Amino acid sequence: MAKKWGQFVRGWMTKNMELPQDVMMDLPRITMIGQIHIYIENHRGLLAFSDKELRLLLKQGQLLIRGKAFVIKTILPEEILLEGKIDSVTYITDTD
Amino acid sequence: MKNQWIEFYRGIVTVKASGKGIERFINTLTRSGINIWNVKNHGTQSVTFKMKLEDAKKIRSHARNSDCRIEFLQRAGAPFLVRRLLKNSGFAAGALAFFAVILLLSNMVWGIEIKGANPATEYQIIKELDKMGVKKGKLQFFVDNVESIQRKLSNNIEAITWVGVELKGTTYHLQVVEKNDPEKPEYLSPRHLVAKKKAVIVDMFVEEGRPVVDIHDHVQPGQLLVSGIIGKEGQTETVPSKGEIFGETWYKSEVILPLKSTFKVFSGNEKVKHGLTIGNLEIPIWGFGSPEFEEYELEENENRVKFLKWELPISYVNKTFREREQVTRIYSNKEAFEAAKDLARKKIKSSLDENAKIMGEKVLHQSVDNGKVTIAIHFQIIENIAEGQPIIQGDSE
Repeated sequence: MAKKWGQFVRGWMTKNMELPQDVMMDLPRITMIGQIHIYIENHRGLLAFSDKELRLLLKQGQLLIRGKAFVIKTILPEEILLEGKIDSVTYITDTD
Repeated sequence: MKNQWIEFYRGIVTVKASGKGIERFINTLTRSGINIWNVKNHGTQSVTFKMKLEDAKKIRSHARNSDCRIEFLQRAGAPFLVRRLLKNSGFAAGALAFFAVILLLSNMVWGIEIKGANPATEYQIIKELDKMGVKKGKLQFFVDNVESIQRKLSNNIEAITWVGVELKGTTYHLQVVEKNDPEKPEYLSPRHLVAKKKAVIVDMFVEEGRPVVDIHDHVQPGQLLVSGIIGKEGQTETVPSKGEIFGETWYKSEVILPLKSTFKVFSGNEKVKHGLTIGNLEIPIWGFGSPEFEEYELEENENRVKFLKWELPISYVNKTFREREQVTRIYSNKEAFEAAKDLARKKIKSSLDENAKIMGEKVLHQSVDNGKVTIAIHFQIIENIAEGQPIIQGDSE
C-alpha cells in the first residue's frame, strides 16, 4: 500500500510541478545518437554483454539492446555508454 | 568522456577477463569506483577492457572473489614509456654525447694558417703562438682573443711589422707583413748630396760621386757635399752620388718634470670570474662575489659558443678584475735632474736616426720652481747629414 502511495505522489508531483521524470521516478534516461551510440543513465548494473547484445538491469525490469559490434565505451555505476550498430532497444518488464 | 590524456600520463593497462559471470565482475568493479572503458567482447566468456594503472592492484582482490580469471595484456602510457626510455637510455645518452662532442669540436682551434711569412718567421710565430696557448686542439674559450694575439705577436716578434689575426670558424688566419722584405735594388737618378743641417763634418764615406767638402768643414743646410758630376771639364758625366757624410750637429732640448707626480698602477691583485651568458641571463660558474678592490679595471672576454657553423646565443665570459693603486712619486732635486736628463736623452734619441750617436751633452741651465724641474741640455750628435738632391738635366752646363 505504502509503495503504491509513494508512486502515486511522485507521479502527481512530476505531472503538476514539471519535474523531470527520470529524477523523480528512477527511470532510465536513454540518449541515442543515430544507430551508433547509446547512452543510458540510471541503470542498475550489467546483466549480459556480448558483441551482439547488452542486457541491463533497471529499477523496474530490464533493458535489452541488440545490434552488432558492441563496445562499452564507458561504464560507471549508473551510467553506460555503448558504441556499435544498434538495431533495437527493448524494455522487458515483468508482468505485474 | 573523461580526458584520455590524463589517464595516459598515469598509465593505462588492458585487461583480459575470462570465465563465468563477467558481467557481475564488471558490475562490482564499477561499483567499487574503478573506472573501466572500451569493454569489448571477444568470443565466448572473454572480455577485454582498459583501466588505470593505479587501479590494477585493486582488481586482483575483486577477481579472486569472482569466477573470472584476469590477464594483463597491454601496458600503455607515460609510466611504461618512461621505463622503456630508461631501459633504452643508452640511445639518449649517445645522442647527448654526440651533441656534446660536436659542440666541443666546434669550439676548438683546428688550424693555424700563416700567410706572408718566410719559413723562419713562420716557425717563430708558431712558437710564439704555442707559448700563448694557441695550438691545434685547444678550446677557443681559453685562448686570448684575436686583438690580444695580434698585439702580443707584433710586440714579441721583431721580424714582423704587422700581423692581422682573423678567426674564421675554427681556423686562425694570420696575415703577416715582414719588416725585412727582400730589398729592391734601388734605382737612383743622378743626384748630388747636400747637407740637411748645419754641421761640422766628422767623417765621410763616399761610394760614388765627387766630394767637394772635407773633414772639419763647417757646412750650412743645402750646401753641396758630394757632387754628382764627375769627369774632366768638357767630358762630364752625371752619376747618382752615394755616400754617408757624418757631421756633428747640435740640438737643444728642454725638459720640464714635476717633482711630485701620481700614477695609477696595477697592484698585481686580480680576481677572475668565469660564467655563461645565455641571452641576457648570466650564470656564474666560478669566482663569486664582487671584488673587494676599491679601484679596479675590468677586462671582459666573451667567447660565443659555436655549433657547427652557427653561433649560439650562449657565450662563455671571462672577467678579470685588476686592482689599481695610486702611487705618488716624489723626487728629490738631484733625482729629478737625473730623471730629466734621462728623459731628454730619450727624447733626442727618438727623434733621430738609428745610427746617430750622442757624442756629448752639456747642461745649459737647470732650475727648480713651483715644484717643477726645468732643464735645458745641449747635445752634440753625430749623424748622417747627407741628403739627395736630383740633378736636373741642363743644369750642369
